Amino acid sequence: MEKRYVDRVETFQTFYNEHRDRLFGYLLRKTGSPHLAADIMQESFTRYLERYRDRERSAALLFRISRNLVVDQVRKNRAETVYDDELHGYRSDNPESGFGVREETNRMLAALARLDEEERDLLALVVASGLSYREIAGITGLSEANIKVKIHRTRVRLKMLLKGER
Amino acid sequence: MKDYLISMFIDDELDLDEKIEFVETVRADKRFGDEAVELLEMEQELRMDLGPVPEVSMPEALPEPRGGLSGWLPDLGIAPLAGFAAAMALVAAVFLLRPEPAVSLEQPYRFVIYRPGADQAEIVGTFTNWSPVPMRKIGTSGYWEVVLPVSAGEHRYSYLVEDGRQIADPTVLTREQDDFGGENSILLVDAAV
Repeated sequence: MEKRYVDRVETFQTFYNEHRDRLFGYLLRKTGSPHLAADIMQESFTRYLERYRDRERSAALLFRISRNLVVDQVRKNRAETVYDDELHGYRSDNPESGFGVREETNRMLAALARLDEEERDLLALVVASGLSYREIAGITGLSEANIKVKIHRTRVRLKMLLKGER
Repeated sequence: MKDYLISMFIDDELDLDEKIEFVETVRADKRFGDEAVELLEMEQELRMDLGPVPEVSMPEALPEPRGGLSGWLPDLGIAPLAGFAAAMALVAAVFLLRPEPAVSLEQPYRFVIYRPGADQAEIVGTFTNWSPVPMRKIGTSGYWEVVLPVSAGEHRYSYLVEDGRQIADPTVLTREQDDFGGENSILLVDAAV
């Protein structure tokens, strides 16, 4: 059963359209850096095509690849502090951002940056990916029960951080 | 306290019994209800629109990205984008145009792991799209099994065991490290004749 080239391209285009915004949302919340998020998103789709072109399209797999790429990146830049103020230079007055980002967005990203790595990763996945706790368990290696507890604890902590800033 | 029900409510993870419990708790416990409202309001902010999302360079055969990237993040660090698009097109051409294997039928494959003390065991891998698939306990033997259709080719997988730990298949020697200190087993399945 050979699929035609056009069919396969269309399938991937649909998959890309469905998940591009979600993936970027995850990466931006996770890294705090639009530059890094854009680079890793590009690399994620490239790697997906390279390695899993014949597989059923899977959002869980895409996010898993992306998550691993962030870990690689952080490992590479271990000497630098990834979540420092420079990378979180996400203020609307930052000439590099080019986003015209609203104040609330800055405030939220700054608060996310103060969560610990695992908390931020989990919350970004839950909020942005549209995946279930079960699917996220498959990506993170955490149990579903553990996710239930951790995700709530993280939300409560984020709320405290946001209040503290006000 | 079952405060985590609030997050499960936000994330659409409650089953029917839990929904009843959630609503009854909101009704009976003002602090719980207030907390739920505050977290829902925070969630609106958390799920805010993040502004323009960059396009990924796609294969030439695909429609051009809407709007393009010009003007987006001048210091993106991946300019010139033409070079990037060409690289992506090349990757796509190589992989999309490569002929399909002559035989692509899936074959049933039995996975077994010995976890005598476990309450549950699951398998994740390329053939499950990395979604966990529960395994079945084989009597009181301590073994867990599952039979899954696996296509010909190279696959990666591991088992999810107690405490959400991810372990490689102890009976398969070919492994690779993942990025979380765990290991995936590598399985080569020959095409069926």
